[in-house]
Amino acid sequence: MSSEPLLRVENLKTQFFTEAGTVRAVDGISFEVYEGEIVGLVGESGAGKSVASMSLLRLVERPGEIVAGEVTYKGETLFGLEDGPNGDLRKRDEMLSNEEIRTRIRGNEIAVIFQDPMESLNPVFTVGGQLREFIELNRGLSEDEARREAIDMLREVGIPDPEQRYEEYPHQFSGGMRQRVLIAMALACEPSLIIADEPTTALDVTVEGQILDLVDDLQKKYGTSFIWVTHDLGVVAEICDRVNVMYLGEIVEQAPVDELFYDTKHPYTQALLESMPRPDRTVADLEPIEGVMPEAINPPSGCRFHPRCPDARAVCKRVHPEPKVVADADGEPHRAACVKHDVFDVGYDESPPLEGAVDGEGSRRTDEPQSELAANPAGDEPGGDGGE
Amino acid sequence: MAVSSDLRTSEARDADRDGPLLELEGVSKYFGQGSGLFGGLQFDPDTFPPISVDRERVKAVDDVSLEIQPGETLGLVGESGCGKSTLGRTILRLLEPTDGDIYFRGENLADLSGEKLRQKRSEIQMIFQDPQSSLDPRMKVGQIIEEPMRAHGMGDDEGREARAKELLEKVGLDPRHYNRYPHAFSGGQRQRINLARALSVDPDFVVCDEPVSALDVSIQAQVLNTMERLQDEFGLTYLFIAHDLSVIRHISDRVAVMYLGHIVEVAEKEELFENPQHPYTKALLESIPVPDPRESGARGVLEGEVPSPQNPPSGCRFRTRCPQLIAPEAYELTEEEWAHTRAFMRAVKRRTFEPIAAAEMRREFFDDDLPRGDAGEIVRDAIDAIATDTERGGESADERDGWAEATDHLLEPFAEQSICARERPAYDLEPAYGSGEHFAACHRHR
Ligand code: SF4
Ligand code: SF4
Repeated sequence: MSSEPLLRVENLKTQFFTEAGTVRAVDGISFEVYEGEIVGLVGESGAGKSVASMSLLRLVERPGEIVAGEVTYKGETLFGLEDGPNGDLRKRDEMLSNEEIRTRIRGNEIAVIFQDPMESLNPVFTVGGQLREFIELNRGLSEDEARREAIDMLREVGIPDPEQRYEEYPHQFSGGMRQRVLIAMALACEPSLIIADEPTTALDVTVEGQILDLVDDLQKKYGTSFIWVTHDLGVVAEICDRVNVMYLGEIVEQAPVDELFYDTKHPYTQALLESMPRPDRTVADLEPIEGVMPEAINPPSGCRFHPRCPDARAVCKRVHPEPKVVADADGEPHRAACVKHDVFDVGYDESPPLEGAVDGEGSRRTDEPQSELAANPAGDEPGGDGGE
Repeated sequence: MAVSSDLRTSEARDADRDGPLLELEGVSKYFGQGSGLFGGLQFDPDTFPPISVDRERVKAVDDVSLEIQPGETLGLVGESGCGKSTLGRTILRLLEPTDGDIYFRGENLADLSGEKLRQKRSEIQMIFQDPQSSLDPRMKVGQIIEEPMRAHGMGDDEGREARAKELLEKVGLDPRHYNRYPHAFSGGQRQRINLARALSVDPDFVVCDEPVSALDVSIQAQVLNTMERLQDEFGLTYLFIAHDLSVIRHISDRVAVMYLGHIVEVAEKEELFENPQHPYTKALLESIPVPDPRESGARGVLEGEVPSPQNPPSGCRFRTRCPQLIAPEAYELTEEEWAHTRAFMRAVKRRTFEPIAAAEMRREFFDDDLPRGDAGEIVRDAIDAIATDTERGGESADERDGWAEATDHLLEPFAEQSICARERPAYDLEPAYGSGEHFAACHRHR
């Protein structure tokens, strides 16, 4: 992992300019993807994970806009700003044009798989035809060769009887089979990176299992890197190598998967893990996270998690923590954005617990619905329009 | 605050009667295939006349029997299309059962009509998955909660308002939100409004259809906790329908697993999760991604897809995918021979491999060791039908559509002759955990 990363994201910011105000959907995130690894981008709805992943290929649509940051892929600048002569920001010269992104990067180098395959498949053309055309265009094969390749790909992703199914239309495929087609399409040009946005969320659990297996196999075979966007910590544990946990537009914890679960460093990650019912053991009492995620239009001061954090102290309201290395995970950094760690050195230990915050002595009602009552009760749909 | 409504507490109901609160006996729900003008018409150019009326019906729920005890939560779990929601709606008589009887407190719901049925209906309520669409956006929260009371002629305006406010508080909302519209509320809060509405007519039994699936994890936990608290407080009985096995494991006392219209297993929660006895339940449990990176799940354990409920497999409906399909008795196959044959039969049926030479097929699927006797003969013929290096009557394998031929050739003597195809399984087992009943619909337990 010492080599250059395949993809480097630095201080990326994406905002949505709505009538209600500026939604800071992605607010300064940095992460890297190395060759052959599966990197998770995990969070609840409104955390900004989908917007973040779409920003990488500049797929954000108005009123959304990438306003800052740098995205570098194999040494090329997918997005980058610099200071202009008048102190304004302008796009850097070496930043690829939309045309270049579309023809050279998208599909060929970086492919995307969406949650709903029907959005990516045209209902009026056969599945095989669409795949063939995609291969023909992107790989410059003849129609016959592309057809053969398409059938091979369908078989490769586990579509039974591919010659027959080649002629069928998307609606004749089940959800799981359509998702396989999208994976085939994503793989068709042998990209180095695939961005998968909740690709198994809509699927039944046995089908999800099949797809995760398939991805595992293909990943081993082709060495493709993945960015896996999900809300499901089970899926994360299952396939990710490294994980970024997002909360309200920011990455709050970044660690190899084992450390994330076994040496959790951020109270939000911890709280998420404790609020989950588990398939592998009976949890008698769930510990919900209090309240709801606030809106990204007007995020809380200091640490954005402080209104809900069981460990919050006065200092958390003032100091906004950026992710810092708080532990060494077998030579890899384990980052967390939480001032209770010593590296932050802002006087957390001396700071008094926040008024109304929970003291962790069990005085809290675990079922505390009142806390969901904000002045504006719709508080948990942040960025409902602009967010995810 | 004036408390004028009388919410019954759990003690008040105890004396009601012994025995199950709800009993389903052989309940089926079939749907006519397709609605609309041409829905039932089939066009088939190979027959005469080419158009026929399709009398096939979708057997969404097929001969289901279940009991639900007062005060318990029965989890009903299964994948999409298994019939769990249809079953829930049939219990509420939102759908008329095609067959079978539903008893509530010992009374057959089908025998009730008029005022009595209306009254019974108030005792059974339902909450749905999508709190957005199940709340009328033009109605204020208070009206929404009072609506069922009004429909059942409960209380006067004042009484209803007092009760609605009290319920708002009970479900964890602010009674002052009585005059707000649903759009001002978050997903979790809307589900609480739904709960308040369902509870307004003081039901004993609530059918909850995926009530938390649309919610984020942290909100899900809040709502689940509230539901549990309400259950204790009001002595409610829940039928909790969900696809999420983690949620089911948390909330249920007993669990029923559904597959393609059949209940395949029922047991107490701990028994079901720790000692599953139906191959489908096992597959489901093994497929769930566990939030523990040191636990590498078996995952894609199930092959193929769920067959169409229009023409479901005979006997055990899981048999077309079951990793443990039982060998037909006619051939004396060893475990290994049967495992090879089964895998080959399914690969041929699904055409998951490209046509290859006969020797290659023998190696790949049978380790060069075909079953002995008649079974071996059958396999050999099937291989010949698809192999690239056999020629029959000058036709290559491609031309004579060897796949279909080989498929029939294998399914007939093997799959169709298995006990799994010939009898619908139903067995009561001794539990390893607890003392409750354990039902498994699998001939492995014969
Ligand atoms: S910085 Fe403070 S409020 Fe934020 S996560 Fe850490 S302890 Fe909690
Ligand atoms: S009855 Fe047969 S096919 Fe059905 S689950 Fe049991 S072994 Fe499998």
